[in-house]
Amino acid sequence: MRRATLLALQLLIGALACRTGATPAGSIRLVDDAGDTVAITRPARRVVSLVPATTELLFAIGAGPVLVGRTTWCDYPAAAAAVPDLGNGIGPNIEAVLGQHPDLVVLYRSAQNAAAAEQLRALGIPTVTLTVDRLADLDHVTTILGRLTGREHAADSVILATHRGIDSATATPAPVRPTVLVLVWDQPPMTVGAGSFLSELLERAGGRNLFGDLPSSSAQVSVEAVASRNPDLILTAADGMPAFATRPEWQVVRAVREHRFLHVSSSAFNRPSPRAGEAIRILAEKLREASR
Amino acid sequence: MSGLRGVLLLGISAVVLVVGIGAGATSIPPAEVWSGLLHGSAPSSAIVRELRLPRVLLAFMVGGSLGISGTALQALVRNPLADPYLLGISGGAGLGAVLVIASGGGGAWGVPLAAFAGALLALALVYRLSIVGERRLDPRVLLLAGVVVGAFSGALMSAIIVLSDVAQLRNAFLWLLGGFGGASWKTLDIFLAYAALPAGILLLSGRALDLLALGEEPAQYLGANIERTKRVVYLTTGLLTAAGVASCGIIGFVGLVVPHAARRLWGPLHRTLLPVVFVLSGCFLVLADTVARTVVRPVELPVGVVTALIGVPLFALLLRRSLA
Repeated sequence: MRRATLLALQLLIGALACRTGATPAGSIRLVDDAGDTVAITRPARRVVSLVPATTELLFAIGAGPVLVGRTTWCDYPAAAAAVPDLGNGIGPNIEAVLGQHPDLVVLYRSAQNAAAAEQLRALGIPTVTLTVDRLADLDHVTTILGRLTGREHAADSVILATHRGIDSATATPAPVRPTVLVLVWDQPPMTVGAGSFLSELLERAGGRNLFGDLPSSSAQVSVEAVASRNPDLILTAADGMPAFATRPEWQVVRAVREHRFLHVSSSAFNRPSPRAGEAIRILAEKLREASR
Repeated sequence: MSGLRGVLLLGISAVVLVVGIGAGATSIPPAEVWSGLLHGSAPSSAIVRELRLPRVLLAFMVGGSLGISGTALQALVRNPLADPYLLGISGGAGLGAVLVIASGGGGAWGVPLAAFAGALLALALVYRLSIVGERRLDPRVLLLAGVVVGAFSGALMSAIIVLSDVAQLRNAFLWLLGGFGGASWKTLDIFLAYAALPAGILLLSGRALDLLALGEEPAQYLGANIERTKRVVYLTTGLLTAAGVASCGIIGFVGLVVPHAARRLWGPLHRTLLPVVFVLSGCFLVLADTVARTVVRPVELPVGVVTALIGVPLFALLLRRSLA
């Protein structure tokens, strides 16, 4: 009799608790970057990560084994290659995602993905939408991924280690910092503004982004603007002498005439990750070499 | 063309060229622009001489070429909607550019060269498709062939884009949107090498186009070699457009808006219309490019965006006024 009343009482409390929004033990509830509530009853065990940065973070916090899907562009760590490739992360293939029977889908926050998130939720699949564009996004994205996969402690130590790496690699500002044109594309000339991750890395490595006064993450600029700002160095993705350097209109730029090019290729420069500190260190070293 | 109007036209183009050379991503005082042009010793002379001057001249020549191409094509296919890109040329050029960018090769001149090759290929294909029956060039078939070839290249382009790296192809599209960011004396030379002959031939075809405007049969009775005119017009406009695409991507509306505007202001006679359109289109594109590189500097807008934003309201106004 007493046991029965106790059970009834527990059920009642449970029901009330659900009504008031408090979570029963083991379940996880949070608000993602799109403002949507994500609720799961237990840590995710089949995760589809459709952002290269979150795939990398999931591996970093030890959640690699629960990954059952990734984008074509998830190239780090090497173990990610063994996770099934589901195609694009922006405008994902919902059917391919469903085919993996995930209990959590991680999406990049963008206008094109809003419909996909809604569709997945309507199908009963918990979906979290995250912004991973800058160093400042790392902490909170890592925390969310840690909570959703039940690896809070691992997430905390990854955050700590990442901060340590970034802080120790960040150069003490030199009195004269070289100005660097980050050239993402040459026809038409595309560069990055202060809003880009690469610009953050560059500033921390002791350089100055030639177009750091532009707030956007990318911008099309003219050779004339580059020439009049006269960068010390040009950072490109091409190894050695980039092809555009032979075009006549670029000869107006002193750094092109003097072949002052830097080149980075690692994916650590494309996305915020625990490797950010390493990326800053590499860049700082290249800046020092070039300034010598 | 009356003398007064001719003087006016020259005056307009002089002002436009001066404005184009005087304004840019960096503000250079007029005195320094002038001394930069003349002496080459001023600190900003490299910017004025090596970047702005060829850029303004290229914009003028490309604008003029697109203008007369549009004028001639509208007369050839007897359709006011005809513009230089109607004949599948933009599709072919786009396909060439996307192919090179997607394959990650090409070097400094790879994209423009591939675009030119693609445009020529599309041109040849459309031409071949339009020769019907007893070796006549049928303008209606020409229109349809152009649209069809354009659609086919568009489909191929989409397929390549879906199958390759996203970021790279976003840049391919930026290139296709058009712009004079890559202008130099060398690009101007290359454009002139391709375009001078067809532009000259087209500018001298005014009489033939006036005859063609009467209709094919009446023109034949008047002793015109209609078949030759049609072919010459098609091939020259195609070459001009291909050269334009190769040097600055696809720039819409110039070849559509300016010819119609000029017709309303100067009348439909091609003998006078063609040179007028050449100058007006040149000025229009120089102005549009000047806006594109100054309005949000140091960021640059695609010039095609500006030509549409200026050209369409201007054209609508003109349309209303001529109807009233």
